[in-house]
Amino acid sequence: MMNTKNAIYYGIFLVSLIILPFFLNSDWVSVMTTFLIYSVVSLSQDIVLGRAGMFDMGHAIFFGLGAYSTAILNMVYGWPILATVPVAIILPIIASVLLAAPIIHLRGDYLLVTTIGFNIVFTQALKNNVFGITGGPNGIFGVEPLKILSFTFSSQLSIYYLAFFILLLTLITIHNLETSKPGRALHYLNLDSLASECIGINTKFYRLYSFALSAALAGLAGVVFTLQFSAVSPDAFNFIQSVLFFTIVLVGGPSSIPGVLLGTFFMFVVPEIFRQFAEARYLVFGVAMILIMIWRPKGIWPVKFGRIPNYLTKE
Amino acid sequence: MVLLELDNVTKIFGGLVAVDSLSISIEKGMIYGIIGPNGAGKTTVFNCITGVYKPEKGKIIFRGKDITGFSSHKIANMGITRTFQTIRLFSEMSVAENIMSGRHFKSKQKWWHGIIHTPFYYKDEKENWLKVKEYMEIFGLTHIAKMTAGSQPYGVQRKIEMARALATEPELLILDEPAAGLNDKERLELVDTIRKIRDMGVTILLIEHNMDLVMNITEYISVLNFGKKIAEGKPEEIQNNPVVIEAYLGKEEEDE
Repeated sequence: MMNTKNAIYYGIFLVSLIILPFFLNSDWVSVMTTFLIYSVVSLSQDIVLGRAGMFDMGHAIFFGLGAYSTAILNMVYGWPILATVPVAIILPIIASVLLAAPIIHLRGDYLLVTTIGFNIVFTQALKNNVFGITGGPNGIFGVEPLKILSFTFSSQLSIYYLAFFILLLTLITIHNLETSKPGRALHYLNLDSLASECIGINTKFYRLYSFALSAALAGLAGVVFTLQFSAVSPDAFNFIQSVLFFTIVLVGGPSSIPGVLLGTFFMFVVPEIFRQFAEARYLVFGVAMILIMIWRPKGIWPVKFGRIPNYLTKE
Repeated sequence: MVLLELDNVTKIFGGLVAVDSLSISIEKGMIYGIIGPNGAGKTTVFNCITGVYKPEKGKIIFRGKDITGFSSHKIANMGITRTFQTIRLFSEMSVAENIMSGRHFKSKQKWWHGIIHTPFYYKDEKENWLKVKEYMEIFGLTHIAKMTAGSQPYGVQRKIEMARALATEPELLILDEPAAGLNDKERLELVDTIRKIRDMGVTILLIEHNMDLVMNITEYISVLNFGKKIAEGKPEEIQNNPVVIEAYLGKEEEDE
């Protein structure tokens, strides 16, 4: 149930993203493309962490699986990029369900440690060139651009719009999620798992559902990541990256789309703006994160519940 | 017709027998009470029925079907829902969203409706919100539909919890100390509400400490002490039963 005010805000946001590249040089278009890609990953992290309330600190795994699927299938097996997309979505889904199923009943802190463990194993496997296809510590270089019909997504601008399209898809998906039965179930089981079970919600199913959906979106973002850099390397998907996504959700505002977008902006774009201050900017960031958590424990832009249809309160 | 039957249900925690070979049988359409001193094992019985605990021995039979050891959500979907002694609402969400949670199983949306909205989604969504509206009207909650459930007074929170349980359209509603923490006025309202729910055709099983309320509203009572049933009968029989009086007040010799 989106009200007109919100629709206008989202309209302004999306239109400004569309016209933004015309005012920026190509370096900044590249920064903004990264912002769009990481926004998708953060929004997908938010499905598990913010909505379903599970401390998943291994989200870079799914992002990385998507990115590596595309890179490997293209470079090692010679698939066209477009054909790799379904694999880059389905593989993270399968991985997320297999990883999450045995640990889903764990309480927050235990789940956190387990997912960090998975992430470390994942990057170690990539670095050690498992099956001889991951390229080892340096990763894989020279991935081909995406071709659809006769159009090749090789310019920075075209990849920007591709990333924009993926973000748009993600926003639509999450809007559909939060106004549906599965999306509400995630909030219920997050806020009170026992009460949810006792009114008939299969909490285990919806926990896995949130993992699968978020892994799919993260995998899709991984494809665009590979296209943006024409390369993948293990360090782009290590556990520190997972910590970043985790932090973005908490700082921005769990379950809040504008909050997570703002969080991503502060983590990935603002540091670029203050590039001339070199390392000092990270000090400012650390302090800012601490202050936000103290003063706004629910994030910069906290979620508002009560999205109910108007005919409920009117006669 | 017997709706729910407990057959020699036993629940043990470590060495402690919390519920000891309990057998009760609840007729459809009645208001059934379970009373007993603190620590008698009443809430444990509820937790066994609703699948929160699995009993060590015995059977729980609902509508002729053995449901012992089923998961909580499955039992809820078969038609048994409950409220909690300490209210458990989704306190950050609005009152309407809380009641909507009770529609979860009745709503026929599939997993993909969380990703793509089909025409069926819009129809289903509207049907269920209108049901929520009905329940809010029954419980007088319409004016606070958009407000946060956690910020409501205690008595109102109890109503929201009952509305949520009722929104699942249960056959058996289990109330765990529904009058706890209510003032006199709220307690009177509660009696009305419970009767109203029964008149809707819902069987009610309740635990309550407030004797006035139990004697006033229930039609049949079982008394537990140390996990064992020590008496059962109509409220007036229970009131005059020496074993029950002893369990609550202690033996006369001890008082001297």
